[in-house]
Order: sequence, then structure tokens, then C-alpha cells
Amino acid sequence: MSSGTAVRPLSPLIPLSRPKFNFPSKFTINKPFSLAKICCSQNSTPEHQQVNLSVLRFTLGIPGLDESYLPRYIGYAFGTLLVLNHFVGLDSSSITPAQLRTEVLGLSLAAFSAVVPYLGKFLKGASPRDQKSLPEGAEQIFAMSQDIADNMKEDLAWGTYILLRNTNSISVLISVQDALCVRGYWNTPKDLSKENIPDWFREQIKKIGFSNLKDTMYFQQAADSELKEMVPEGTRSLLVQPILRAPRLSPNQTEKREGFLLLASSIDYAYTDKDKAWIAAIANKFGGFWGGLSWGPKDVKGMPEIMVKLRGSRLDGVQVV
Amino acid sequence: MEAGTLLRSAVPLSPTRRRFVSRPNSVRASLSPRGGYQGPRPKREWVADWVSKNDDFVRSLPIYVGGASLFAVLFNRTVSGIAPVADASSSQSRADLLTLGLAVTNILNGLVWLSIRPKSISVVNPNGVECQRIYHDLPDPVISELIWAWESLSDVTCCRSLVVIYDGICILQIGFADISNSNGSEPMVVDTDKLMKGSLYNGVLKSGSQSYLANLALYPGKSELPFLPSNTQAVILQPLGDKGIAIVGGDTIRGFTSSDQVWITLIGEKLDATLAKVVYRMPLTVQEGI
Repeated sequence: MSSGTAVRPLSPLIPLSRPKFNFPSKFTINKPFSLAKICCSQNSTPEHQQVNLSVLRFTLGIPGLDESYLPRYIGYAFGTLLVLNHFVGLDSSSITPAQLRTEVLGLSLAAFSAVVPYLGKFLKGASPRDQKSLPEGAEQIFAMSQDIADNMKEDLAWGTYILLRNTNSISVLISVQDALCVRGYWNTPKDLSKENIPDWFREQIKKIGFSNLKDTMYFQQAADSELKEMVPEGTRSLLVQPILRAPRLSPNQTEKREGFLLLASSIDYAYTDKDKAWIAAIANKFGGFWGGLSWGPKDVKGMPEIMVKLRGSRLDGVQVV
Repeated sequence: MEAGTLLRSAVPLSPTRRRFVSRPNSVRASLSPRGGYQGPRPKREWVADWVSKNDDFVRSLPIYVGGASLFAVLFNRTVSGIAPVADASSSQSRADLLTLGLAVTNILNGLVWLSIRPKSISVVNPNGVECQRIYHDLPDPVISELIWAWESLSDVTCCRSLVVIYDGICILQIGFADISNSNGSEPMVVDTDKLMKGSLYNGVLKSGSQSYLANLALYPGKSELPFLPSNTQAVILQPLGDKGIAIVGGDTIRGFTSSDQVWITLIGEKLDATLAKVVYRMPLTVQEGI
């Protein structure tokens, strides 16, 4: 018996449409995904461990104006006025030292105000304000290797789906042993046929050498140019999570590298610590202690490859298949 | 019908529970002589690290800066012999007013930052015993998925107990559980019949959506969950399709953030799909009298 008062909507990054989630095997799930309604307790105070925007905040109510950047705008405006005040008006001979002191103080304050929103981004409880923007005119792809077990395909499809939905990512790539799955916006050459997409990605990966990675890598701003061939334009942060298989029998063996998981996003500082922890948990599903067990004998031939191309340019959410 | 019994003593779960610890956004460069990663590496983010470490100081920094500038402006005016009158006639006054405006903006911004500081709530250790119970008749991949779900939840969120009930059977009971009445040191067994007749279960399944009891002590429905430790602080009830429920117990009031809730919903869907396959293969063993 849960008493629900206010129903708080989920974060706006989750698309409001109801995408159907099709497993690529014969056990199809026909239920559409339902948004989770969250009932909060009667006396929930506004302070949560992760700040929700239901806290009483100062706002002008203008849509599109981000109030946390207000000090920056005020800093610029007042700084300009100070400079104007210095030059216009009285001629330069009658400017007193007192006025100069005030102006210096004012200009340094203006500079500080401009920097303040940047510092505020890293405080605990700050959420990324920018919505992720989708690359213009890019195509979404969803491709998977052909010769892998059924439940591995399901797991890969599910894993890529929830990573795209639940983090600020626009594209995801999972590479485990010999299975490869890509989803989202990628910079593939236009004339690449369906079957060759996994191979093309494997080449790129080999060039960069991601398979040798042992620790998580997080490019927070403006990824390097070496990676720009694969990832779509406008990628600002990139997270690479290695998938390791923990040794089953003897704990003395070192962890073997099974593969990696790559997430790209179009905003800076896209992944919080909590996001990274969840991404590591998903990576554990494919590697980890128990990963990779299959249902029955591996059926190698005759597996259809799942490949869908969409032209998506909706800005209110990624069109996930 | 009683729940499944303890089996699988050979299930070697990871002995050390790694609790989610906030790690800085830096990269530990691992240099291995051969076969190491040679590609591009990210730069170290100094500002982000410094701000995260000195959170309190940075929150009050604008207030100090603004306040100090306010006094400096007034002091400057008095020292220079100008009357402290706020009129915009002279150039000096205009400059002073602009600086005062900036100082006030900073003070207000600092106050806003202080007001949105997240309150840290203490963890309440559950009193009970650890238990690991899995239904005996499950194929290996299903077991691995259930264990993976438990390990993810306990590592990332404040979850300390997990109970999965599907199709009238208690599939999984893991984590902390309350001590049974009959046998003083054994964890309590989940009475699925009683739970499924209760209002919590039926309410959740009827609505088909997750229910988050952020402060369990306030809910009279708490009596329907006797198998959880008595001082469980928060509970998430996640329906698995229309046949089952996952009960996630946490050790902090309002400990599950909204992103945790969404992840738990998605994991619940996956578990539902996996368990539905199992039930499809297994003959029906549960007879429920109406």
C-alpha cells in the first residue's frame, strides 16, 4: 500500500514515445515499454542525494534561458558597461585613482562571475544542463556480428538499447571476444554494405588498439582526432570501458581482457560517477564472472544479421530500434 | 507453498562486496611492456577534480568574494573622501554601482549553491543475516543473470537485499534477511502465498509500474515484507511483467536516485524476459487454489 502524492516525471532525456523492444530471437516480447511512475513518500523533502529539479530554484520563467548562466551574462554586461563608463563621459585627465581602483575591482569581479557557472558544473548535484544534440542528417545504424549464439544477440541488443536510453550517449559499440555490436550514430562510409559493417569497425578498432585496454578511459571534452574517423561529428565525450573476464577457478590468474564497450556522447562531461558505475555493471554482464554462458549448443550457421537503418533527425530523443 | 530451498553451495559469489565509491575522473596509466594500449589517452581534468574535492569551499566562495568586494567598494569611497551617496551622476558613482551589482550577483549565486547542497544521509546497517537462496531448477544462464543483477545492484546502489518472485515461486533471496522466528540463526524464508495475497504485491502488479517506498518506516504495508531486515530504509518494488516482482531493499532513506530507478526498471524487464523463457520450458508446478 504505497501512498503516492506527486508523480515526478523522469528525466527529459528519456523519449516520451513508446519504442517496442524486439528481441532478435523466437521468444519475442510483445509488451511495449511502459514509463515507470515513481510515487514519492509523503514527506519527501526537496533535498535528495542526487538533486532533482523540483528544488525551489530562482527562475525567471523564460524558456530556454538557463539561469545558472546568469552570472556569466551579468558579468559580461556589467564589465562592458564599466569599460564604457571609463571611456565615455569625462575626459581621461579627470579620472581619479579611486575610480581606477573601483574599475579594476569591478572588472575582476566580472571575470569571476563569468567563471562561476563553469565551476558550478562540477559541484555535487549538478546535472548536465544541455540536452544531447543529434548529428544533423546522420544515419542511425544497428549492426551485429552474424555468427554468435542467440542469447548473446539478445544480450547485446538489450545492452546497447539501455545504454543508449539511459545515458547521455548517441552511439554505442560493444566488442566481446568475437562478437561485435554497434548501435546509434556512427561515421561509417556511405557505401558500406550490410555485411561489411562489423569488419570495417574491427579494422578501425585494430588501428586504434582498443582491445589492449585495461582501465576505463574517459575523454571528457573534445575527443582526439585519431578517434574522429569512427565516431560521428559533434562527439564531445567518449567513454571506453574494458570488459574483463574474472578468472573462474583460481583467483591467482590475472584478469583476461575480453573486449571493450565504447560510448560516445555529444555533450561535455556527459557521464557522472554513477553513470560510470552502471556502465561498468553492464560491462560485467558480458565479461565478469559468469558472462558468456549460452543456452544450448552454439548454432553457427543460418543466423540472420539484424540490420536496420533509420534516418533520424528528431531532437527530442534518440530513435532507438 | 514454501519457497525454494538452499542449494548450489558451489556458487562462488565474489567474497568482497565492492561498494560504489566515487572515483575521480582521472586515468590510471597502466604501462605494460608488451601489448599495452598505445592509443590516445585523455588529459587530466584539474579543475573538475579540484572542485569535486573542495565542494564545500567552492560553494561558499562566491559569497566571500562578493562580500569582500562590497566592503572594498564602500571602503574605497570613504577613503577617497567621496560622500557615500548612491547617485549615478558622477563617473565614480556609476562605476561603484556596477561593481556593487556584480558583488550582489555573486553573493546570491553563492547562496543558491549553498541551498542546493545535497544532504548526506547516513547509512543504516541492516540487522539480519546474509543469505543466498536460489531456486534449484534453473538453467545456468538464468542463474548467471540473476547473480549479475544482484552484484550490479549491490555495487552501484544502496541495495542490501534482493528478493525475486516469479510465477508464485521465490526464485532468489539474496543479501540480508531477517532472522526466522522458528530457527534463531537462519534467514527467514519468503512466504510467497502470503505475499501474493497482500496489497503491496497486487497493487504493484495492477499498476504495472515500479513503486518506490522511499522511507519504509512510514508505510503500514511494511508488515507484508517480514523477510527483509527490520531496519530496511528504502524499498523498490519492481514488477516483472505480470507474473513476478523484484523487491530491492536499501540501507539509506531515499537512497535510490532517479537514475537508479530507471536502471532497475530496465533490469527488471530483462529479468522478466529471461525468467519467462524458463517458465516456458519448465512444467507448471505451482497450483494456486482460488
